[in-house]
Amino acid sequence: MNIKSWFRPFEKISRRHAALISGFWLVLLISFWFIGTSGAKKLFPPPALVWQGFKDLYNEGLVVHIFSSLWLCLQATTISIVFSLFFAYLSPIPAFKPVVKMLSRMRYLPLTGITFYLAMIVRDARTMQIWVLVVFMSLYFITSLMSVFKDIPQQELDHARSLQCSRWEVLWEVVIKGRLDYVIEVLRQNLAITWMMLVTVESILVAAGGLGVLIKNSDKFMNHGRIVALQIVILLVGLGIDWFLDFSRRTLFRYSKL
Amino acid sequence: MTYHETSDSILTVENLSVDYDGKKIIQNINFDEKDITRPNKIQGQSIAFVGRSGRGKSTLFRCLSGLEKPKTGKVLLPDMHKHQGEAYPPMKEVGEGDVGFVDQKYTLFRHKTVYQALQFAMRKQKLEKSEKHDKIMVHLRDWGLETVKDQYPNELSGGQRQRTAILEQVLSHTNYIIMDEPFSGLDVGNINNVKSAFKLINESHELNTVIFCTHDIELAVALAESLYVLGYPTLENGRLEPIGTLIKKYDLKSMGLAWHDQLTNRHYDVVEQVKQSILES
Ligand SMILES: Nc1ncnc2c1ncn2[C@@H]1O[C@H](COP(=O)(O)OP(=O)(O)O)[C@@H](O)[C@H]1O
Ligand SMILES: [Mg+2]
Repeated sequence: MNIKSWFRPFEKISRRHAALISGFWLVLLISFWFIGTSGAKKLFPPPALVWQGFKDLYNEGLVVHIFSSLWLCLQATTISIVFSLFFAYLSPIPAFKPVVKMLSRMRYLPLTGITFYLAMIVRDARTMQIWVLVVFMSLYFITSLMSVFKDIPQQELDHARSLQCSRWEVLWEVVIKGRLDYVIEVLRQNLAITWMMLVTVESILVAAGGLGVLIKNSDKFMNHGRIVALQIVILLVGLGIDWFLDFSRRTLFRYSKL
Repeated sequence: MTYHETSDSILTVENLSVDYDGKKIIQNINFDEKDITRPNKIQGQSIAFVGRSGRGKSTLFRCLSGLEKPKTGKVLLPDMHKHQGEAYPPMKEVGEGDVGFVDQKYTLFRHKTVYQALQFAMRKQKLEKSEKHDKIMVHLRDWGLETVKDQYPNELSGGQRQRTAILEQVLSHTNYIIMDEPFSGLDVGNINNVKSAFKLINESHELNTVIFCTHDIELAVALAESLYVLGYPTLENGRLEPIGTLIKKYDLKSMGLAWHDQLTNRHYDVVEQVKQSILES
């Protein structure tokens, strides 16, 4: 084991060593947490308190709340990806391009502005949550999808054209079918922001529970252990979705090497 | 090597020029290729373009294939679609899809396996599914692609990708196939594959035409009937004007150098001349 090589830029190391290094950092972080919070003055809740917070959350139905959030996530993502794909697929057509571009610019609108208008149309809180998320997520998805399609090399379009594809066939083969795997990747790339948005929306527009509601309640109690425990849970669920999306892209699309 | 030059054109280019962002890349390109016939033989033609990098070969090819509209000028081909079966159809301006094009990077559909790609290339032909299958399999075997037929482009080597790209065009049945540097990066065996593809294309229809460019001058002289040097012209002050145009044409068939199986000393003399004129432009 040549530890010196671990510090050489661009050095390729074996999987086992890479795992060893990650493990080392993890141990370092955890021990820092234990030692750093053992004194009298505490900036951060000690592990015991977080564990207690976690148990409290569990007893309050953490699992149900997680599934509530995941369900909301699934509903909102499905609707917005359908929307976004529709618009993004229109973007190669000159007559519609400005519309799609304008939609993508709309992501600079603040969340509150959108909720204000939606509140005038939608009454039910759950529906409201979904639509706020749909509007918001769609704008991000459209932006990312557009940039994926814009990055398609001219050669790929020309290749299809030289095989007697009509322009519509080019759109179908190269942009739609040829970039399906990127749709999942776009979901994944935007997951961090949409996941954060989802929890925020849940805490602003309280409806059928969810992780956002738990955060809001913890706020009230000023219970540090609970807040940190919840953050960890939210982080882990987010990472879980990320892993799941990446896994499905690689298993569904063998040609996908991004 | 007897042959007869007819008065019918197979490819005419008139006053072609291309600009990119206002910068002239190629200009003043004019040539006319006539069909030639040989006794008891179906003889399509091969036309080679040679020249240094950046002189505009790829740009010219994009125009010849109808993928890019030139700034000025025209590319004319016999209108084979509207006048199917006629020996010499009237000429028309080239359109998208009239000409097969294999680009320098051998682009393929990233979501189609080799087999699916070839199937797609044959989609417009009126053949039974099983006939298409048989045809594809024969070609895959001949081209050494049988073992990779279910692999995607990202799972192929460069040579395999290139052969697939050429095969797609061969099977898609366009009479004209343009290949941008089809021999670059191939091993000896692969070069033979591509050479036999040329032969296959040329010998399957009187008007089938392969247009290619290469940096291997010997191959160009060995395979082509006409060879054009694309380069920068010399101005009166002795400098080169940095806009690509046709500098020289070698009519290898009238020089008696076409269709030889082995290169002779006369071929090598021409190779030297061609190299010289490339260097001077
Ligand atoms: N899309 C483009 N935009 C601007 N300039 C280009 C573009 N494509 C090619 N060129 C320029 O045109 C010239 C000819 O390029 P190219 O046709 O690729 O030459 P060759 O194939 O002979 O090497 C080069 O100087 C290149 O920089
Ligand atoms: Mg080139």
